[in-house]
Amino acid sequence: MAARPDDKLNVIGRRQRRIDGFDRVSGRSEFTDDIRLPGMLHGKILRSTQTHARIVRIDTSKAEELPGVKAVVTHKDAPDLMFSEHQPVLAGDVVRYVGEEIAAVAALDLLTAEEALELIEIEYEPLPSATTLRQALREGAPVLHVRSPDNVGPTMEKDWGDPDRGFAESDCVIEDEFRTPMQHNTLAELHVALADFSNPDKLHMYTPTQGAPMYQMELAKGFGLETSQVRVVYRNIGGAFTGRGRPKPHHFVAALLSRKAGKPVKIKATADEEFIMFRASGETVYKFRTGVTSDGVIKALEADITFDAGGHDEWAMILWLPSVYLNWVYQAVGVRYRGRFVFTNTVPKGSHHGGIMGRMSAGWQQHIAHVAQELGMDPADLHLKNAVMPGHESPDGSVFASCGLRDCIKAVVDRSGWKHKYGKLPKYRGIGIGLGAQASGSKAADNDTSAAMVKIAADGVVTLYTGIPDMGQGSHTVMCMIAAEVLGTEPESIRVVQGDSDITPFDWGAFSQRGTFTTGNAVKAACEDARQQLAEIASRELDVAADRLEFGAGRVAVRGNAEQSMSFSEVANKSLHSTEGRFVMGRGFFNSPKPFGALAFSFGAQVAEVEVDPVTGAVTVDKVWAAHDIGRVINRLAVEGQLDGQVFSGMSQVLYEECKVEDGLILNPSRLEYKLPRAYELPEVDYTLVETIDPYGPFGAKEVGEGPIVVSMSAVAAAVQNAVGAMVPEMPMTPWRVLRMLRATADGSTDVGKAWSEGLD
Amino acid sequence: MHLPAHEFVKPRTLAESLDVLRQAGNVKLIAGGTDVTFNMRGRLFQPDVLLSVRGLDELSGVGVDGDGWLRVGAATRLTDIENAPALGDWPMLRKACRSVASRHVRNMATLGGNLCLDTRCWYTNQTAEWRQARGPCLKNGVEACHAIKTSPVCVALNASDIAPALIALDAEILLASADNERRLPLADFYTADGVHHTVRKSDELLVAVRVPPTADATVYIKETARKGNDFSYAVIAGRKTDERVSKLVLGCLSMRPIQLTGVLDVLGSGELTEALIDQAADACRAELGVLTNLYTPAAYKAGLARALVRRALQTLKET
Amino acid sequence: MQRQVMTLTVNGDRHEVLVSPRQTLLDVLRGQLGLTGTKEGCATGTCGVCTVNNAEGEALLSCLTPALEWDGEAVTTIEGLERDGRLAPIQQAFVEYGAVQCGFCTPGVIMSAQGLLNASEQPGEEQINDGMAGVLCRCTGHIKVKEAIRNVGRFRDAPAK
Repeated sequence: MAARPDDKLNVIGRRQRRIDGFDRVSGRSEFTDDIRLPGMLHGKILRSTQTHARIVRIDTSKAEELPGVKAVVTHKDAPDLMFSEHQPVLAGDVVRYVGEEIAAVAALDLLTAEEALELIEIEYEPLPSATTLRQALREGAPVLHVRSPDNVGPTMEKDWGDPDRGFAESDCVIEDEFRTPMQHNTLAELHVALADFSNPDKLHMYTPTQGAPMYQMELAKGFGLETSQVRVVYRNIGGAFTGRGRPKPHHFVAALLSRKAGKPVKIKATADEEFIMFRASGETVYKFRTGVTSDGVIKALEADITFDAGGHDEWAMILWLPSVYLNWVYQAVGVRYRGRFVFTNTVPKGSHHGGIMGRMSAGWQQHIAHVAQELGMDPADLHLKNAVMPGHESPDGSVFASCGLRDCIKAVVDRSGWKHKYGKLPKYRGIGIGLGAQASGSKAADNDTSAAMVKIAADGVVTLYTGIPDMGQGSHTVMCMIAAEVLGTEPESIRVVQGDSDITPFDWGAFSQRGTFTTGNAVKAACEDARQQLAEIASRELDVAADRLEFGAGRVAVRGNAEQSMSFSEVANKSLHSTEGRFVMGRGFFNSPKPFGALAFSFGAQVAEVEVDPVTGAVTVDKVWAAHDIGRVINRLAVEGQLDGQVFSGMSQVLYEECKVEDGLILNPSRLEYKLPRAYELPEVDYTLVETIDPYGPFGAKEVGEGPIVVSMSAVAAAVQNAVGAMVPEMPMTPWRVLRMLRATADGSTDVGKAWSEGLD
Repeated sequence: MHLPAHEFVKPRTLAESLDVLRQAGNVKLIAGGTDVTFNMRGRLFQPDVLLSVRGLDELSGVGVDGDGWLRVGAATRLTDIENAPALGDWPMLRKACRSVASRHVRNMATLGGNLCLDTRCWYTNQTAEWRQARGPCLKNGVEACHAIKTSPVCVALNASDIAPALIALDAEILLASADNERRLPLADFYTADGVHHTVRKSDELLVAVRVPPTADATVYIKETARKGNDFSYAVIAGRKTDERVSKLVLGCLSMRPIQLTGVLDVLGSGELTEALIDQAADACRAELGVLTNLYTPAAYKAGLARALVRRALQTLKET
Repeated sequence: MQRQVMTLTVNGDRHEVLVSPRQTLLDVLRGQLGLTGTKEGCATGTCGVCTVNNAEGEALLSCLTPALEWDGEAVTTIEGLERDGRLAPIQQAFVEYGAVQCGFCTPGVIMSAQGLLNASEQPGEEQINDGMAGVLCRCTGHIKVKEAIRNVGRFRDAPAK
């Protein structure tokens, strides 16, 4: 039964401070690098210095002889240990990018490990390399993998609905191109893995993760174990931003070293190594086509995307994401998608905060604004005319049971004063609007399951067992709020047991915006189960029918008669210390009845207002108005925090972030030269929460973890587009690129116009 | 990454420090450590001896000498300079100090350190492994430059935000060695070589900076990616003496700060009309020399220089 | 490589530690002293997660300074902010205003804020930006961090919850 907006809720909807706040502000929160196991060794990975080369010789003898070195591993130690289908964990005969894992050492301390690394000798025979999309796709380009003679790896071609009909019914078709560079997530906590494989019967892996099961499965497969023989332990996680979904080579290397040395081994990234370990998003080229009628009805959408996969296709799974995403925003009759991965001699790529959709949308939403311009329409009107509505079924089969997109558009248009500003701002000021949608708990496989348990101990304390990691988004606080709402208690009185796959029930993890939705449903079910158990016992003890009982303040009481009540402790004691010998333990479970895709979708619209400095090209984001339909708001404080963070991260990607890559080397692998804005650069954010109550979400909740950043990126990009007068074809919109745009669009009288005789990039 | 092996030495007096400088071979001076520690971690600096002068009394403090000149000890922290009451008469120096990096860095970094900052280049300020992958260059004693293939000299960028301000103020520096002491206009301290980018001899130590008194109008502008954090894209310091623009110094665009004497010639003693400002701004390109694509595109550097000259002149016109 | 004995006072406790010149102050805090509240981040002085306070209460980057520089000196780390089992006002403000998400940068961000508050009890907007621009909080976008600092006064005399 879906909750109704007027339900009386005690806990849900509050501004709830984090349940782990005390530990986090006092230095007590333990992160993986803070853990020291007895006998622990320190590992370091030797990486390729070549973009493409044959390995002629590896000599590790000097490293092995260094006092304090306990293990050295190379491909020979694990020739069959694969990281992805065609990629050994440690390179065998060929390296395909600078930074590829070749060998590793474990030593008594980090200093010795660092020294040992310098003693390993490697002889390479360089091979010709292709380090950019353009080089890799050129006729006669060096080939990275024999199986892909044209360097094109996995591809996907998909028509949803009838795009041919859509384009045929269109009065005009607009095309645009867009390019995004390699970008990196800059997680706060650098990559780290602490493996204890000293007993070959069990691999203990301490590491920050978005979910234990995928780590268990992949490590088990690699080392020939059962899944339960891999224990994944995580304490606190210093951010994930799509970056900790599955194990990376260093996890396997740490396990390998540990098995060989018979001791626990910790491998921790250095700040520059982080840019290799992470697998950031790669250079991407987008071609958009949109078919529209002259009165502004969007009929068909098309995107053709070429991804730089790097040296291996580690993350081919991301290819399909844009395909479905294009279905969720406008009511087009057809969507066409073409995606391909291209191999280059660069570090393998994954994705960035906002997935593929954020980066794509920074171009796509500028493209839609361009469409509006061609039609002589206000883009806000075009968005409103075509936005999806409740009950809409999109060509990919998604049905939007709840949808507040139109209300979101109206809210930001109204609050930003859009109608007084669009087209009326002074020169060099711009205003832009972006839309977006996000699947909440998008299911890609059967095992997209969350299970949860809740125990009521004899002292009445409620303990929740969950496998959902909290990477900062506040999932544990949300789960405690859900549990407290069901059980009639307070979130901060609930204990959470998490972070150990030996203990917690199965949870696929914090992916695809499934935490609140999927795990939340499981936790709610577990608490309802526990509540029913409590009610049964209390009903017997109080001698009233169970349906006459109510829960509140940690007690079970007869409705309308507060005198007649029992505390949780009294009820749990009756149960636990009875001859029946059972304890109160609720079990909950959720796995979407849909075989594929999502049950619920969140929506949002944002308006950004920017100013461009015509002299220096610098862009300032003055204010962002954000309106989001995220379903029922569970924790208002956390929702605002998610919105803030995504506005920040979105503007950061659009305006600042870029890995400058030259000949396969990242020129700026540091937080100094890879820029993210700081305190001074932040805009003011105005929030509107459009609370649709979703029939499938726990208490009607959907997601707020990734939807907003896609919208932020769209709005900021569209605002810069508006300020410079044309679509900006490339991210990030650095001062020099903005100046180039101004020069291209200006009447020739801009302040710097005549000073620019050379190219700007 | 740990620091490379070295001996850490921290004398109690200037005389002892100068002794160490004279006797030891490969010595690196450290005070705030924000640049030195960073470059040591990247193995760009691998000294046998790390000589700390942090907090050394003889090198610390801000005061006004009997002749009215401001005197700042080389090991004085930037935060302490910002907060020194004496700086009220040298507002441009306060502004320049305040523009450096972040509050955190300024709580550590010193004036001497900032003036001696190693030049920066994204082909060298990397790890040893990175440089190995890319190949060595002039910074490693090899005749090669990745920034400008044909360059016979290292073109790494001078990174000091403060030097242009002090040069515009006609500051002089005091260099001491165990046997000698010399004064030098700061303008003469820098060379057009990114490797040996100052004339400091290996046994010399920068003791203090002295700045003559002035009531001239000044202007200081820093352009950077993120306020309160970054090295500059470019800085400009300017000064007006007797209704005439007397100094324009650009920093962070090449190996050393650039004094725009040609621009001053164009300006002459003429009134700062828009037309003259435009003409002067156009003239600056000729004084920039070869520009690199380090951190920002060369064309952007040229345009930014022109824009900063314009902005500086417009500000001076109004003051 | 020779190690040296140095003394370091941390959070009021005087320690004698054996230190290599190859170690930074951060290495010693996290390693020899086991004070793992202070985190290791960018190693270039721009992320601020390694921030501790010096004896004057100023923010300082422990990853950018050799440990031996601090022989005989005193520093305060995140573990040293509580008084009589009570969180410091800035710590309380961070919890109440939602200025904490993943928590990895939080110790450094709080020590930066504390450094700022040590210099000025009621910092203005420019001072807040100046004091906090040297830290990177990847999660919050710094918005609620600034809100917590603006409102720290509320927690100065209030009893801890």
